[in-house]
Amino acid sequence: MPVESAKVDIKTDDPRRQGSMMRIEAIIQPSRFESVKEALHQIGVEGMTVSEVRGHGRQKGHTETYRGREYEVDLLPKIKIEMVLPVNLVDAAVQTILKTARTGKIGDGKIFLSRVDEAIRIRDEERGEAAL
Amino acid sequence: MVIPPTLSTVLRDFYADEFARIERDFRAASDGRAAIRERTALLDRIVLELGRELLGAPGKLKGICLVPLGGYGRRELFPHSDVDLMFLWANSSTERQYREAAQALVRGLWDLRLRVSPTYRSVAECENFERDNPEFNIAVLDSRYLDGDEEVFERLRNKALPRMIGAAWRDLVTDLAELTRQRHKKEGDTIFHLEPNVKNSPGGLRDYHVAWWLGLISRMQKEGKWATHEDIWPSSSRKEMESAFAFLAAARCFLHYRQGRDDNSLSYELQAAAAARGVGVENGRAVEPADWMRIYFRHARAVYTLCTQLLDESTPAPATLRTRLRRTWRRADSGFSIAGTRLSVLEPGGLRNPQRVMDVFLYVAKNGIRVSREAEDQVREALPHAFPSGATLTQLWTKLRQILLAPHAAEALRAMHSAGLLVRLFPEFGAIDSLVVRDYYHHYTVDAHSFMTIQNVHVLRNTRENWEAPFATLFSEVEEPELLFVSLLFHDVGKGMSLEDHVAGSLQAIENVFARLDLSSEQKDTIRFLVRDHLLMSANLLRRDIFDPETIRVFAEQVGTPERLKLLCLLTYADIRAVNPDALTPWKAESLWQLYVQTANYLTRSVDEERVGTDASDVQFVDRILPLVGGIAPRGELAAFLEGLPRRYVFAHSAEEIGAHFHMARNLKEGGVQLRIENRGRMYALTLLAKDRPFLFAGVSGTLAAWGMDIWKAEAFANSAGIVVDTFHFTDPHRTLELNPSELERLQKNLEDVLTGAVPRDTLLRGRASAQFKSKPKISVPTQIRFDDNSSPHSTLMEIVTQDRAGLLFHLSSTLANFGCNIEVALIDTEGQRALDTFYLTFGGAKLSADTEERLRARLLAEQ
Repeated sequence: MPVESAKVDIKTDDPRRQGSMMRIEAIIQPSRFESVKEALHQIGVEGMTVSEVRGHGRQKGHTETYRGREYEVDLLPKIKIEMVLPVNLVDAAVQTILKTARTGKIGDGKIFLSRVDEAIRIRDEERGEAAL
Repeated sequence: MVIPPTLSTVLRDFYADEFARIERDFRAASDGRAAIRERTALLDRIVLELGRELLGAPGKLKGICLVPLGGYGRRELFPHSDVDLMFLWANSSTERQYREAAQALVRGLWDLRLRVSPTYRSVAECENFERDNPEFNIAVLDSRYLDGDEEVFERLRNKALPRMIGAAWRDLVTDLAELTRQRHKKEGDTIFHLEPNVKNSPGGLRDYHVAWWLGLISRMQKEGKWATHEDIWPSSSRKEMESAFAFLAAARCFLHYRQGRDDNSLSYELQAAAAARGVGVENGRAVEPADWMRIYFRHARAVYTLCTQLLDESTPAPATLRTRLRRTWRRADSGFSIAGTRLSVLEPGGLRNPQRVMDVFLYVAKNGIRVSREAEDQVREALPHAFPSGATLTQLWTKLRQILLAPHAAEALRAMHSAGLLVRLFPEFGAIDSLVVRDYYHHYTVDAHSFMTIQNVHVLRNTRENWEAPFATLFSEVEEPELLFVSLLFHDVGKGMSLEDHVAGSLQAIENVFARLDLSSEQKDTIRFLVRDHLLMSANLLRRDIFDPETIRVFAEQVGTPERLKLLCLLTYADIRAVNPDALTPWKAESLWQLYVQTANYLTRSVDEERVGTDASDVQFVDRILPLVGGIAPRGELAAFLEGLPRRYVFAHSAEEIGAHFHMARNLKEGGVQLRIENRGRMYALTLLAKDRPFLFAGVSGTLAAWGMDIWKAEAFANSAGIVVDTFHFTDPHRTLELNPSELERLQKNLEDVLTGAVPRDTLLRGRASAQFKSKPKISVPTQIRFDDNSSPHSTLMEIVTQDRAGLLFHLSSTLANFGCNIEVALIDTEGQRALDTFYLTFGGAKLSADTEERLRARLLAEQ
């Protein structure tokens, strides 16, 4: 499916999502991280949490033999990016990640979306979208 | 007792006006020392006024005196520092007389919004060491007379305190050392902080004062008198320390005025503001923040060095006689001694000999003992005589190499840098002295980073974490680690040059360094590669899919040989780890290792496929070598020699070596061989050129085994014309060749005879085979044989891992030849007790069938 038509089905008029924030969790190839980060900054996403993780989906690991010793490479290195955004920015963020993280090969990663009920800034206890 | 409101108001206004004036003067001149002296004088006037009002007129006070302590006592009151003031009584009677007035005076100061820390003591009390109050014991060292009964102060300063120090100097120093070490530890034992605290960070004002107090205590304990600013430290340190203090004082004043409180943290933004104001800079000129921090780190380094040196020298030896004798002094070698934890030079005159100077640091590198302050001064003084400008040090590389390979090399290099020797030897290094890379990622100055990279490699000898273990193994396999260390030392010097690309600058610098080191052309090529491509592996790690075969292929081509790959991997490991303490996460290290393994396997498994052809990229190889063959042959002949050889061959050998091989090939006669054996120090290198025929490889390996030689590495290649280029690296454990140099010629003759068939192979081997013995294996290595039909389009790859033993390679290659296999390529390596051999084989001119593979496996296992 071409990237442009793979629009994320977020119905912002869905009463269950009115005024809500959404959490985006994206697991991507480490080699794509800098491009994804830069592209997200360009569309106005500034806050994110980045973790170095390991895992696999269909891209299973393998056994590597080196100088007579075997090394299991079953969990592959990935980067996990997490961010909480106002729902009106989610579409753009997801499209951006899809566009910049994709290589077309198995192992490109996944994006998960979930609803966030509340956000609170620790410094001044600001709540809701204003805290983002 | 109360202060009259009018006096309180007058003093408040006076203080505010004067405070503002001092601040204006500071803003104009950035003179921190002047500012703190003036604030001290301001407080003196206020305290005197209050004292006159509450205690009595000057000259009339008996049995009490006002004694500033700590920073106030030193006349170093920073804009928002606390005021430490002691009310000193002659006895309890005067205490009763003046206590209330003294407290009223303190309240008066509080009312002026001054943070006063009052202390009330009698002279007799000051003679006692307060075990639970180390801060007071230290603060009172900086006492001075302000007002009151001078005789009382004289008893304090000239009797009570000297007695206290005389009786308790060990405890004083121990407490001071402990407080300092705790503070340093809390700050990571490093001066390198992105946002240092100018007071408490290592190398900051507190360390300056620690050095000051240690000087005071030492002078009083040894000579019974108070040291002064002029004689507290040797003249060689004094100037540096005064300059550091002037800068740090200016920085702290700037922070206090800017923040409006006693906040000593140099945040990122405040660094930029201070730099823009030229705080502490000569003539107050504005500089770039990175340059301003460079000045800061230079001063911090000087202060930290002296502070830690004095702490090491001053910390008392343990009380028992035995430990005291063992620790205080022992002779290190004929010219050095160890006192406490520092090395001293017994014969400073000998330092005019440059070799002797290098020996000082070689000792440090081997033993991790630091150089004493005195020894460092002696080295610094000797430098112009030992290393006159423009002179080269013969055997510099020999000594430097020993230093770089020793376990405490980084410590030695730091000491050499501190003494001025490193820049004397390599002026290129001066470009990165205290150079700051100003971002949130790089914690260390560039010179400190370079030393840290070398330390990171040596520390692999004592790994504790699982993820460090593979790199520790890699370090043990590297053939010439000194090349790695030279590369690490100079890889970033380009950052100190005004060039767009620091790599170009580093390469330029390294060419100048080569002029002073006795390195072979291959060694220089390796260092050039490491410096030029020191970011290559990390770039692949972070920006490429390391599990994409194309990424591996391209990277492997850029690296060229397994040995270079090992060096580059270790360099990358050390470089990332030295950016900041958290830069190399286990995640990143594991990814680096995975990239290494895949690339190493590719280099081994692609040898047969990646061969020199007639591509434009291969033409460069011919161009590189053509000038070296002296015009003896047309270009086409050289190209024909190279065609078909694995690309690995041209990466693994220098242009000079390949030129020499070409000459040997041209001199080949029908049925003959061309042999050359060279002594390369740790190993011998044998090169064979011959027309390919069966049992060639077995013939060489068997003859070497028969002579008792131990083959560590070998490579066997052939070009399209069927000319074999085989190289063997071997050691001579029985020292046959070393003790009987003429045997080298006989060995060469034997080899030629065996290979040409003049002597039956079995005859020679039968006589000597029984004489072979190796030490009993410490570990048992089971034999593993793996076949791979996919790595090469032409041949079958066979990897065999087995117990290394005398004659192994001969047996393996003979078995292969007897079986009917042709060895297209052989890559032989040894790792401790493990033989790691890779053969690209054909059978009947084609790959081995599955059945042939199994029969061969069975044959090999049967003969193990």
